[in-house]
Amino acid sequence: MFFHIVLERNMQLHPRHFGRDLREKLVSKLMKDVEGTCSGRHGFIVAITGIESVGKGLIRDGTGFVTFPVKYQCVVFRPFKGEILEAVVTMVNKMGFFAEAGPVQIFVSNHLIPDDMEFQSGDVPNYTTSDGSVKIQKESEVRLKIIGTRVDATEIFCIGTIKDDFLGVISDPGTNA
Amino acid sequence: MPRHRDYDDDDDEPEEEEEDVYEEEDEEEEDDGGKAGRKRRRSDFIDDAAEEDDDEDEDDDDEDYGGGGGGGGGRRRPKRRTAFLVVSFSLHCLLSVVVLIVRFSFADFIVDSGADIPDEDGARREYRHRLLPHEDQEEDLEELTRSIKQRYARSPHVEYDEEATDVEQQALLPSVRDPKLWMVKCAIGREREVAVCLMQKAIDRGPELQIRSVVALDHLKNYIYIEADKEAHVREACKGMRNIYASAKIMLVPIKEMTDVLSVESKAVDLARDTWVRMKMGTYKGDLAKVMDVDNVRQKVVVKLIPRIDLQALANKLEGREAPKKKAFIPPPRFMNIDEAREMNLRVERRRDPMSGDYFENIGGMMFKDGFLYKTVSMKSIRTLNIQPTFDELEKFRQTGEGGDGDMASLSTLFANRKKGHFMKGDRVIVVKGDLRNLKGHVEKVEEDTVHIRPNQKDLPLTLAFSDKELCKYFDLGNHVKVVSGSSEGATGMVVSVQGHVVNLVSDTTKELLRVFADNVVESSEVTSGLTRIGEYELHDLVILDNKSFGVIIRVDSEAFQVLKGVPDRPEVALVRLREIKAKVEKKGNAQDRYKNHLAVKDVVKVLEGPCKGKQGPVEHIFRGVVFIYDRHHLEHAGYICAKTQSCVLIGGSRANGDRNGNPMSSRFAHMRPPPRAPQSPMRSSRGGPPMSYGGRHRGGRGHDALVGADVKIRLGPFKGCKGRVVDIKGTSVRVELEAQMKVVTGKCFIDRNHISDNVNVSVPFREPSRYGLGSETPSHPSRTPLHPFMTPMRDPGATPIHDGMRTPMRDRAWNPMSPTSDRGGDWEDGNPASWGSSPQYQPSSPRSRAYEAPTPGSGWTNTPSGNYSDAGTPRDNGSAYANAPSPYLPSTPGGQPPMTPSSAYIPGTPGGQPMTPGSGGLDMMSPIGGGDTEGPWLLPDILVNVRKSNDDTVIGVVHEVLAQDGSCSVGLGSSGNGDTIIAHPTEIDIIVPKKSDKIKIMGGPQRGATGKLIGVDGTDGIVKVDDTLDVKILDMVLLAKLAHA
Repeated sequence: MFFHIVLERNMQLHPRHFGRDLREKLVSKLMKDVEGTCSGRHGFIVAITGIESVGKGLIRDGTGFVTFPVKYQCVVFRPFKGEILEAVVTMVNKMGFFAEAGPVQIFVSNHLIPDDMEFQSGDVPNYTTSDGSVKIQKESEVRLKIIGTRVDATEIFCIGTIKDDFLGVISDPGTNA
Repeated sequence: MPRHRDYDDDDDEPEEEEEDVYEEEDEEEEDDGGKAGRKRRRSDFIDDAAEEDDDEDEDDDDEDYGGGGGGGGGRRRPKRRTAFLVVSFSLHCLLSVVVLIVRFSFADFIVDSGADIPDEDGARREYRHRLLPHEDQEEDLEELTRSIKQRYARSPHVEYDEEATDVEQQALLPSVRDPKLWMVKCAIGREREVAVCLMQKAIDRGPELQIRSVVALDHLKNYIYIEADKEAHVREACKGMRNIYASAKIMLVPIKEMTDVLSVESKAVDLARDTWVRMKMGTYKGDLAKVMDVDNVRQKVVVKLIPRIDLQALANKLEGREAPKKKAFIPPPRFMNIDEAREMNLRVERRRDPMSGDYFENIGGMMFKDGFLYKTVSMKSIRTLNIQPTFDELEKFRQTGEGGDGDMASLSTLFANRKKGHFMKGDRVIVVKGDLRNLKGHVEKVEEDTVHIRPNQKDLPLTLAFSDKELCKYFDLGNHVKVVSGSSEGATGMVVSVQGHVVNLVSDTTKELLRVFADNVVESSEVTSGLTRIGEYELHDLVILDNKSFGVIIRVDSEAFQVLKGVPDRPEVALVRLREIKAKVEKKGNAQDRYKNHLAVKDVVKVLEGPCKGKQGPVEHIFRGVVFIYDRHHLEHAGYICAKTQSCVLIGGSRANGDRNGNPMSSRFAHMRPPPRAPQSPMRSSRGGPPMSYGGRHRGGRGHDALVGADVKIRLGPFKGCKGRVVDIKGTSVRVELEAQMKVVTGKCFIDRNHISDNVNVSVPFREPSRYGLGSETPSHPSRTPLHPFMTPMRDPGATPIHDGMRTPMRDRAWNPMSPTSDRGGDWEDGNPASWGSSPQYQPSSPRSRAYEAPTPGSGWTNTPSGNYSDAGTPRDNGSAYANAPSPYLPSTPGGQPPMTPSSAYIPGTPGGQPMTPGSGGLDMMSPIGGGDTEGPWLLPDILVNVRKSNDDTVIGVVHEVLAQDGSCSVGLGSSGNGDTIIAHPTEIDIIVPKKSDKIKIMGGPQRGATGKLIGVDGTDGIVKVDDTLDVKILDMVLLAKLAHA
């Protein structure tokens, strides 16, 4: 789920950036530092949409660095248990398949794939129904439900299922091509 | 019951009323307090093994209770007392303890010996027989009765009920006032015989034999126990016994252990059907088996096993063509295939078991059903406690026959082996047995075996109580759990499916599917991969294996690593044990990709060719032209891919600039230094400048790891002067844990290795790293240069050898032939003094640095390998290994001593070697004089010394003058030097070590002769303020002498 929230961060700026475009420097550094990171609480910070305020800088003893408290608005993405997501399959193996929804990696175990789908090894490993009508392979888009999340410092990993109503392949790479 | 006679106050009671008798005894027993019943708490034991209990006093209570053993499984606490002489044999083997106890008393003898085998019905078969006629005792009977009554009337009778409390039990334990138990050695296998002999002796001799009982335990060979008050009594009793070694020591059993002698540790587990057991012996030893039937009477169980039968062998045997060759191997477990057996012409009979009504195939006397072997075994031969069937084993058993239902039930027998405290409050559980099956709930309260749960269903009572055997933990999909026992213990992951009480989870690290029992899993938010480290090697480390190959650890098993080898053509995984790993590579190497882009660790690359074509990810390791890439989408090998650097292309920018900048800088830095200072620190010379000029070798980093843990001193920057221990190394910067400040500082790129110097702990005398002939880089050794080409090739083969001591010999061999003794001898000889003289600035630093200078012969190496050796040279970690290490260098000493311990090797020959034993101050000082021409007179005028003149008296004196040649001094006695002047040889002179704020004179190094003030002492270093220049110097204390008050 995406959220638009305000976060705060203390930015340390090297003295060489002090000057007219200090603020720009600060913002660009903030973007560089923050975008794409992940925190357990908020999830992935997808993009900074604006700066709310930049507080007073504090010069640090010894180093000359200045610390600014910066409040910024950003879009964060955090997957939740039970959430339905659409994701792109990145890899298929006999244990299940991996899919990605933006920065989030989701694993769908073969226990969580409908029983009628079987793993077919080969050049393009895939899961196929017995009648061959539905196929999950790399690049397929699937709709899945997240049943568990694990949040690390740098990534969020989810376990998903497609063993439920209205879940499964929503578009095939083959049909698109 | 065939008892002979009971002498007892209840004498006239029918014998069948044994219980009453026992009760009566109980009453009596409790009178003699802690003594009588002390063995009683071992009721289990008593049940099984014949037992009699004690009468403590020599009084004549003549009761006789046969060891009437355990009726019905502890149904009755067997409190029986046996007067006088009872021998009871228990043939009952359930606990495989057979006890023979002989009890004595001296007024009368009644012998009862019984063996009883309780059966299911609690019926007993007792075999007793009198050993002696007792007619003569009858007269005494009344008297005895009286005396007993008298004796036990002393205190009020207290009824012991069946469940004596712990406290009461405690009171029954033996105390110091009770007779002691002595352990007597006897002939092996004669324990029982001895006991019986002693009994006979007691019968014959009567009261004069003052021992009270004899115990022979079947499980204890070679010893019997004798109960007596004094050792002398025991000796007396044993005198003349053939099978008792009179000479052997009689050991007293400590009071605390007395009860253990006659108690049995394990309880008999009531075997039930469907219990999992393991076989104890035979072909099936260790195999899992399932109990199918229990015959308590005959102590037999029928177990179901997966047969390990070699049909061919069986066929041979049955047909009589006996192949008598010994079977060394045990056939693997395999289900019996009846058709196959028929093909082998085995006779298969189909029979109905009269007991169960089931049909079995009978082949050669063995019963099979559904491929399983049904075997009747003795209860003794199975293990019932703590059986933890593995998943695989259970799977196998499940394969045939039983559906999921039976499976559940049988699995639930696993629960019997659960640890205490299995369930905790808040655990989610599911009911697996009984009417409320599949009910889910939360644990509310746990009592002993009862678990109260709060069901999730609304309309049920608030809490329900279940036996813990009826419950199983329950997990939802997506729960993050940790495996707490079993083969994948420690792993964490997310639950992807739950089948019965088997949980499938996806491991966090390996993304593999694990199948575990719900029982072995707890909910946890922790993320681990289980074991990630053995010894110093951790998951994802790059390691060098024994056979010169290398690889990345991709998995850590309980005692081995899985290593993805550095073979780019195909992924090759090796299972490697700890000892097979030679070293860890910590170097952050760099290399060039296909387009000559510079690759460094953490750069993202894409593989252009080979089996892993198209994969991309950050480089984790670079080594010998091979990169290890971590691709998180790559599932095999923990995401690691091995590829040639040449087949990769850098994507995006390189991140690792810091490192790359660092190196040139430091090398530049090094070159800028004035040449004499170059060797300042061995570390430096190896790391900083000089090595750079030998580009192309992997030197810089190889020894990185070895510096970790080294004690260093920071030479520059804000932490200048601080000592510490290196905790980590990254590129050219190190992290140092400061001793003084209790913190860890990172030497940023700039406090690089140049800024630290090795700081030897001088108190370890043999640590002196003579072998690191490092410092000797000094340009002032022209003679050395020719050696380089010579030495360099040598080093390579043993590239990182120093890490393990065992390689030393090899290097030794390598070195010996190489060392051109004559040439180098010369080299050594002029080299050495030169080093002393020519790098004067160097001297003051520390004894160790001198040590480095000194063994010039080593210098041949120093250029190239120094990285290695110097690093390795922090021998604190593995001193023993290093102790050997110096040997390779030794051949170069003029003396040509065979390799030996450094001290012995060095002292005789090499002047330079001496300072290496900094611990022995005296020696240090002397040595330069012994060999020292360049060093010149060592003592200086005006310093305060102790002169050992005669009779070991030391006299304080002041050196007036140093005489030529032998270094003798004229010393004026007295603290101001005004006394008599004597001539003393240096060996008779000890310098007086200055104390803080003493005036000092510097006796060595560039400042030699200068005076100053000692403003502080830091270990072996003195902080000196030099008078002339007002500089503050840190000098070795050895070089400082106290100045006489002028």
